Amino acid sequence: MKVTRRDLLVWSAGAAAGLLVTPVPWKLLDDTSIWSQNWPWIPQPARGPVEVKMSACTLCPNGCGMKVKTAAGWPVGVAGVSSHPISRGALCPLGFGAHQLNWHPQRLRVVRHGANPSTWIEARIAFAKACSEGPVVVIDGYPGRAASSVLQSFSRRRDGGYRVVLGLETRALAPYEAWSGVPASALGYDLENAKTIVSIGAPLLDGWGPPGRFTRLWAERAAGNADPQLRLIQVEPSLSRTAGRAWRWVPVPAGAESALAAGVARVLLEEHMVSARGPMPPLTLAEAVAQTGLTADAIRDLARKVVARTPAVVIGNDDNPAIAALNVVLGATGSRGIVRRSKRAEPYVSADAAIPGARAIIVDASVPWNFSPQTDAEVFRFAAWDGGSSRADWLLPAPGFLEDLTDVPTAPTFAFETYAVAPGLVKAPHEVQSAAQFLASIDSTLATAEKNIHSRCEDLFRGRAGTLRGQEDTPVAKFASIQKLEEQLWKGAVWVGEAPHPVTLRCELKEWPSTVPSAHPENWSTTWQAPVLPPLATKLYRESNLREAPEKRTA
Amino acid sequence: MKMSRNALVFGFGLAVALVAGWVVFPRLLYVQKQQPLEFRHKTHAEKSGVADCHECHAVREDGAFAGIPAMEKCASCHSERIGESKAEATLVNSFIKPGHETPWLVYARQPANAWFSHAIHVKRAGLACTECHSTYGTTDQVRVYQLNRISGYSRDIWGHSISRLRRAPHEGMKMSDCEDCHRRHNVEVGCLGCHE
Repeated sequence: MKVTRRDLLVWSAGAAAGLLVTPVPWKLLDDTSIWSQNWPWIPQPARGPVEVKMSACTLCPNGCGMKVKTAAGWPVGVAGVSSHPISRGALCPLGFGAHQLNWHPQRLRVVRHGANPSTWIEARIAFAKACSEGPVVVIDGYPGRAASSVLQSFSRRRDGGYRVVLGLETRALAPYEAWSGVPASALGYDLENAKTIVSIGAPLLDGWGPPGRFTRLWAERAAGNADPQLRLIQVEPSLSRTAGRAWRWVPVPAGAESALAAGVARVLLEEHMVSARGPMPPLTLAEAVAQTGLTADAIRDLARKVVARTPAVVIGNDDNPAIAALNVVLGATGSRGIVRRSKRAEPYVSADAAIPGARAIIVDASVPWNFSPQTDAEVFRFAAWDGGSSRADWLLPAPGFLEDLTDVPTAPTFAFETYAVAPGLVKAPHEVQSAAQFLASIDSTLATAEKNIHSRCEDLFRGRAGTLRGQEDTPVAKFASIQKLEEQLWKGAVWVGEAPHPVTLRCELKEWPSTVPSAHPENWSTTWQAPVLPPLATKLYRESNLREAPEKRTA
Repeated sequence: MKMSRNALVFGFGLAVALVAGWVVFPRLLYVQKQQPLEFRHKTHAEKSGVADCHECHAVREDGAFAGIPAMEKCASCHSERIGESKAEATLVNSFIKPGHETPWLVYARQPANAWFSHAIHVKRAGLACTECHSTYGTTDQVRVYQLNRISGYSRDIWGHSISRLRRAPHEGMKMSDCEDCHRRHNVEVGCLGCHE
């Protein structure tokens, strides 16, 4: 029998039809898709014992508790710690993907001088020369750490200055520092006992403070309730996620926040809704109506809602004295609302102002990438990732996520003191140094960050106050030795101080403050390049709208 | 005549494809590998008095599952040869005395981006070991490890049935299997529950 071309075609058609009812196409599709995930150039964690280590996030000053899963000693996953007193199990998208950050393509791996690669030796020689020629200023973005003490000590010895770049949450507390003399870093918000919170632009549910703090409070006391125990009134131009979930949303145009605060304060004082604790705002209600676009009745109604259920506190998103003055009028400064959590804090000098007369400036890796100091001095900038900082003369590779030992002081805005330690869990794949390590190597008489952490643990032990919260809660007074205390801190426990004493924060406010923006936009780059985000965070971050893009914030 | 010839040829092609797809393809796709050691769950249960799976496959203090026990556990009984079998000699001479871990081929090995918590399933959900592992704990030999030549994973991930039809509840460890089981038990888990 002769096999014709037609036979071959018919046979092929039969075979093709047959294949479709076999597992071949579907199984091949499945297997090749898995195969493509395992190409040899795709990094894979080493095979080895899987362990879970407790630590704290060091990417921002909030210090959320983290469970870090390691495979063969390398972090492969991060999760929140539900028993953590600050974060209560929550993490931001950046924190969830933090273990991927160390492998980010924008990781700074070599020393750079201008646009050229250089070496640590050359950087050290250049810095030593600068030190011999004039004052050295140090800029820190995460004050209060053991490493910050090293930076402060160095700047004092070099006749320079220690400046800080504070986050928006801490800057919102700056007016109280000016009026009471208590440093903003010693103040916090007592949200846990508040019954009404008026947020004037603060993204309370979108990335304000530790991610788990207000979101958990809101979930427990407000979510899905038409008359919630915790009333959140959001004042904001657009229907943000926070505004959408708030008990009431009050839309006012951007820039009219101070007028609204003044209008509400005037109503509160004129209608004797509060005992007078502050000066009458010069702005009339009619002027407030004109600036905010709200009706006079709407402003009166807002004032009534604010005092209907107390304690009430007003939270701004930046240094706005009018909002702070409204809190003074409300009596929300002292035992309720704005509280003093610490007696030991010291005031900081902001790095926003121009820095004249310095020969060199050290910028710590904790300073945001888009901040550039206004100076003619030679800038030595430490960074784990090159976030597009083009104005530094020297870029020096700093430790990445959990690559060095650091401590975690109290989170900004928190109502009581905390202290934790984040041990170095990972060895850096190339030579890195933090600013504190670099300065300690220049001046060997400086105490290292490790020594400072040990000293702080000694202080906690001797103070006998507070509780260590780890797998179980243990009062510090019950620890038999410093070593035991340190051991627990190293294992992820958090020291939590006593509740703040109910003393009134005396704010001397003789007249209603004029509203002057405190930020210096020239320090903040508006041409920030692509942010350094781990792959996991990129998708979550972009979809969650957790933080505004910097150009929006400074516009 | 022409019609019947075409049907015959078509049918022949169909039959060849069916045989190739259902019989030849699975044999080509999987390569059979022997485990580095013989291990008998049944013997250990009967002779050593190991009554409970958790005695060897424990959940550690930190909540992580210890998986296959480390060599130390084996060495606690097998520091010296107990029997005369070849496997016993291999265990003692090749692994315990030099201090090497046994390179077991793990049937359940998943990609690095997937995370499965035995602790949650056993302690919180109260699942018995047999619900996923069937009666493997009472068998008298370790199974042959079938390696998928393309994906590099065990056949146990897909399940023994190449069609994935009429599988036993404990067969298959693909994401859809996790989802099916969670749906059956009405337990919701977000993406980050398994993909940290």
